[in-house]
Amino acid sequence: MKLRAWIRERTDVRMPTGMIHGGPSFAHVFGWVLLLLLLVEAVTGTALAAFYSPSTTSAWGSVAYVQDQMALGWLVRGLHYHGGSALVIVTGVHLLQTAVYGAYKKPRELVWWLGIVLLLLVLGFTVTGYVLRWDQAGYWANRVEVGIAASTPVVGKQIRELAIGGNEYGNLTLTRFYALHVIVLPAIVALGVLGHIVLALRHGATTLRPDMPATRRWPDQALRNAFAMALAFAALLGYAVSQHGADLAAPADPSAAFDARPLWYFRWLFELRHIFGSWERFAALAAPAVVAGILVALPIFDRTPSPALRNRMPFIGAVVGLGALVGILTLLSFRADARDADLAKRQDAADKLAIRARMLARDNGVPVTGAQDVFKTVPMYRARSLYAQRCRGCHDAGSKDRKGPIIGPGHGNRAWLRGFLTGPSGDAYWGRTKLAKTEDAMKAVDIAGGDLDDLVELLYAQSGAPDADTAKRDRGKALFDKACNDCHNLDEGVASASAPCLYGIASRDWFTGFIGNPKSAVHMGIDKSEMPRLDKDLSIVDRDLIAQYLVWLRTATPQDLEALGPL
Amino acid sequence: MGDDDGGPSRRRFLGYTTCAIGGGIGLSLLYPVVRLVADPMCRQTVTTPTEPIDIGAADRLRVAATWQQVPVIAPVIADAWSTSHDVVLGGAFIRQPAAGKLEALSAVCPHLGCAVGYDPGANTFLCPCHNSRWDRDGNLLPDGKAQRGLDPLPIEVKDGRLRLTWVAYKLDTASREPA
Repeated sequence: MKLRAWIRERTDVRMPTGMIHGGPSFAHVFGWVLLLLLLVEAVTGTALAAFYSPSTTSAWGSVAYVQDQMALGWLVRGLHYHGGSALVIVTGVHLLQTAVYGAYKKPRELVWWLGIVLLLLVLGFTVTGYVLRWDQAGYWANRVEVGIAASTPVVGKQIRELAIGGNEYGNLTLTRFYALHVIVLPAIVALGVLGHIVLALRHGATTLRPDMPATRRWPDQALRNAFAMALAFAALLGYAVSQHGADLAAPADPSAAFDARPLWYFRWLFELRHIFGSWERFAALAAPAVVAGILVALPIFDRTPSPALRNRMPFIGAVVGLGALVGILTLLSFRADARDADLAKRQDAADKLAIRARMLARDNGVPVTGAQDVFKTVPMYRARSLYAQRCRGCHDAGSKDRKGPIIGPGHGNRAWLRGFLTGPSGDAYWGRTKLAKTEDAMKAVDIAGGDLDDLVELLYAQSGAPDADTAKRDRGKALFDKACNDCHNLDEGVASASAPCLYGIASRDWFTGFIGNPKSAVHMGIDKSEMPRLDKDLSIVDRDLIAQYLVWLRTATPQDLEALGPL
Repeated sequence: MGDDDGGPSRRRFLGYTTCAIGGGIGLSLLYPVVRLVADPMCRQTVTTPTEPIDIGAADRLRVAATWQQVPVIAPVIADAWSTSHDVVLGGAFIRQPAAGKLEALSAVCPHLGCAVGYDPGANTFLCPCHNSRWDRDGNLLPDGKAQRGLDPLPIEVKDGRLRLTWVAYKLDTASREPA
């Protein structure tokens, strides 16, 4: 008490009268709930800003890191994101309550108008915030929103360039929206809220029960406020927990089709665009202006002195009607999506991609070259994509255009070699090559039992496999010299008359060389292979990567291949 | 104070001077800030290649086969302070309806710039954002929001490689002009 008097003496600041017209009521709690929600946004937003990195290459990764790896990061993100939705809902209810109570009337016009401005600023927060995550959802929603703004007559191009910070989406787009979201809008909203509160307290509450006596705000109204705030926060917390934070789609990809949808509170505009057909431009730009215009005009047209409901039915009807229209359009939009089976399939695929991207980000980290490259962190990504582009068509078991031997798990192991030696023109081996149908095709070897094992071991040892049995290999060499070396040889770099040199066959070096030029004299020779040489357009590094992958395949099982995950 | 402050004209003069000082400070502060914030509008912040981009070997396109979707990957782009290699600019559809005749369409929706996909079931192009559709040749079908057909992109073969020129067109107009 002494302290309060001391301060009052030096500042002359007094609390407002503390009386509330018409007695305590739950009708007056919404402003307090909004204040709490704004506080939640400010606190969670400050924490998130400490983790966020606004650049096209790092934004998604920093958000994924908070969502999936930091302690309770998902919850803070969830409170922040769903808190935005809650702000929109409660602002709408607050607006409706104010309209029904006629609390916009003289002398409260400024409070009302300031409230409408604050609603628009809240929507501005959501638009500037959604793009920051730089995932498919935020990126494409923003592109459409900016596209709509850019279709403004005359100054559209300038608006677009100002909004995205240049001629195209890039780093400056994010720095710009970030500055708006965390500095400019909060500063303006803080001032607006301060003005709104000061004016609202000065004018006091509007009541529908003017005959009831005014009571003190404390403690009856204060308790109601606290109760409503607790309820709203519990609902927000519960929802954020139930959603495990907020979504995060796969990293933004300018080349991949994505079903861009605006945040749910803009769905009514999205639906309106569909309904309006070729008038959609009018719908997109004019409809929000019309709605805002009607709200702004309310205190100008409604000059009835008494707040009694029956005198103001047309005005209440207009506001409630607008609210209902927005609500119905929103429902229609969600219903149309729910009935679209193709959309559900595409969204399912998008969800799966998001999960994969986030798992890779968590397990392998996001490359500094950009969040898109997170997909390239899977094992042997480059080798496997080169293989998929250049080799799979002719060598994959499932390819209907296969022209060469099947390459897959176990390619080049002992079982594979035995199969090859006993039936080189079998379908899995050279059966589909042109060579198999000519006189030059290799004949099945006429060796069986332990001798065959020895010959297999000799070839197996050429690959450099560490588990080759040297005794068997040496016995195999003796067999080779009798049975094979009419056509083949085992000397490094020496071309045979009619068949490949088998020195180092299926080793990493051998694969690199063979892929580079299978028509070389030490390999198939100029006229026996249909396989194109790859040294013309793949670097030796790339050929070596493919070779390493082929060596890996020799000891791999189909499960190992599966475990690498999709490309 | 009171009477000896020099009368109304002096007060007005001092008032104007105060406002002028305040205005001077304000303008001197605002000018560099506004100039900086507006600067990206006056320059090309993102520089993408204008020359043809390699999108793969020519033999990937079989004659008379349906559209293939390919990402268009710029070897290098400059984005504000950064330089990046192998950046996806967007998507394109390519095909070879007759031997030696190549066609390419931009996968950027001419409505608001979403990425267009090919719907093999209906044999049409579909933009998932606002349900615009185009027939298998890229001509606009009714009932969508787009105002023109899909935008063709220049494509050529050089030394056995497909080379595509990436062009961004103005969105949401019936006529086709580079942005």
